[in-house]
Amino acid sequence: MPDLEKLRALAKETISRDDIKCLIGWRPGTYGYRTSPHFVRSPEDADQLIFSPLCSSNLATYLTLAEKRPVPRGAQPDTRKVAILVKGCDSRAVVQQVAEQGIKREAVYVIGCPCEGIIDLRKLEDKYPHTLERVEARWENGKISLDLPGGRAVFPREEIVAGKCLTCRYPNPVIADVTVGEDVEVRGSAGFEDINWLEVKNAQERWAFWRDKVNSCLRCYSCRNVCPMCYCEECILEKQNPAWIQRSVNISENTAFQLARAFHLAGRCIECGECERVCPVEIPLTHLNRKLVKEVSEQFAFTPGVDPEAKPLLVGYRPNDKEDFIL
Amino acid sequence: MKLNKDKLADFLAAIPGKTIFGPQLSGETLKFTPITKTGDLCLTANNTTVPPKSVVFPQTETMLRFEQGATDIRTAEPAGETVLFGIRPCDARAMYIVDNVFFWDVDDPYYLARRTNSTLVGMACLDPCVNCFCTSMGGGPASTEGLDLLLTDLGDSYLLEVLTGKGEMLCQGAGNLLDEASVADKEAAKLLQQKAAGQIRRKIDPSGIPARLPALWESPVWEKVSASCLGCGICTYLCPTCHCFDMQDETEGAESRRYRTWDSCMFPEYTLHASGHNPRPARRERTRNRINHKFSYFVDKFKVIACVGCGRCINLCPVNIDILDILSKVGEEAL
Repeated sequence: MPDLEKLRALAKETISRDDIKCLIGWRPGTYGYRTSPHFVRSPEDADQLIFSPLCSSNLATYLTLAEKRPVPRGAQPDTRKVAILVKGCDSRAVVQQVAEQGIKREAVYVIGCPCEGIIDLRKLEDKYPHTLERVEARWENGKISLDLPGGRAVFPREEIVAGKCLTCRYPNPVIADVTVGEDVEVRGSAGFEDINWLEVKNAQERWAFWRDKVNSCLRCYSCRNVCPMCYCEECILEKQNPAWIQRSVNISENTAFQLARAFHLAGRCIECGECERVCPVEIPLTHLNRKLVKEVSEQFAFTPGVDPEAKPLLVGYRPNDKEDFIL
Repeated sequence: MKLNKDKLADFLAAIPGKTIFGPQLSGETLKFTPITKTGDLCLTANNTTVPPKSVVFPQTETMLRFEQGATDIRTAEPAGETVLFGIRPCDARAMYIVDNVFFWDVDDPYYLARRTNSTLVGMACLDPCVNCFCTSMGGGPASTEGLDLLLTDLGDSYLLEVLTGKGEMLCQGAGNLLDEASVADKEAAKLLQQKAAGQIRRKIDPSGIPARLPALWESPVWEKVSASCLGCGICTYLCPTCHCFDMQDETEGAESRRYRTWDSCMFPEYTLHASGHNPRPARRERTRNRINHKFSYFVDKFKVIACVGCGRCINLCPVNIDILDILSKVGEEAL
């Protein structure tokens, strides 16, 4: 658990540098357990920064989400770096974006934050609903402690963290220009036991599982917009001519949307779980993504977002690549 | 009048010829769907994730059908009669507010048909959510605007208040199931409703907001409050007063249909011109529009704020963009 004073001091030093235009971190939210992305543009802004088990947002999304406003005539474009706080999973998004040439490595200054797991707010809200007062949380010797209005509560990590944190193999940032806090123990296994229960079902049973979930999709596109790997300037969802996916919200078009998104993330998903976290109708999207991660791992022994020099899976070719899935 | 909870199923069965919608789980989500078993109703849960606007203003609605090579056009089937059972007062008030738009300069025949054919049976909100702020927006846990009937949960029974002729019609067939409510019942309901209003902790005084907004058009406040916005449709799709839609044609084989579907001012293409120009090029402008539409334009036109304080946009925003935080910043910003 990093010392907040050290984190803020580092942020102040960083934002004071001439070659940094902005630092993206987290700050306490407006109520209860929520935190919010925080854009530090001056040393004073850094006083609000936090890093805790409540910092769920993957800030790497903002590296590609930034809107490029036209540069006024006579002015020079601002080419300074963006500094960004990353957890382990978030750092993999940065690496994958660099590997795909979505961003340039020299355009970002990465501040690594080793992470012991992020709280799943749905689990917390089930236990303590209607909490308006701001709550702080800390990692403490493999447990997570919370200062709730009714007093302190301590949970075993496994009871309260998000599902993606239970399978996480990269709690320590895989890329960082500077790191705050000590490296933490890797607890996730390399296997895919978490999706076994779904894989053993037959096709009909699997469809029965997904049908209701996909049917409730509202097509708000929060899963796409929050995804650090969904940064295409033009997305097939907005294409009108041809309209690959119709705007009508029904099970057929919703399925086409969810499957298209899943396939576009094959060999690219870095398992930050943001899509599942933000879905207002609670579609368990990490199951889909984990299945693709598994296929990519078993077919090609490839893990995305760990090596910025590695060629992205789908643009690479090796003569000994497996072909047994080709009909 | 009073309805014993044991007789709820009989009460609903005594409503002839209408499809009854109620809050039920659909997948993992609470929304208004047709009731098949009274036991599936979630009447004590908080507000539904998807607002009941989806019943009178479906997310996707076919307007007409046509076939290649033919000139005749088939318009949509007329909407049947519906009852929205257990709708929260804030959501009913939202429909009452949105009616202004759809019955404005031109009547919207699709909305008009569904809305006039619907009877709204409200359930007083006795356990408000953390982000409820209906009392700041002119409503309350037992507000009756838009409702035809209001139920208040008294434990073993519901106190039933008839508010309109439509509400009275609904009770006609069920006369023998209803008991006379005592003065004590009415007092008990009033106390519960007052207690609920007292539990609402999020508050704001919006009275100065509509006048301030035009002056803050170029204010840096919009950049600040929209910096973390992802540009998704959660805040608008799940808002009970957001009512924008897009129209599209879809073809399958020789048959085509024209339908309308919810749209969101938070999407870039909402204002994208055919020329490629976009008058709201970034999230700053889109967020500004969302707030201005609810708290300025709507007030100019219809003399009412188009927000009922249901709290959905706060509960579900992935990055904690909080409408009360925006409003308080708008209230404090130097003009």
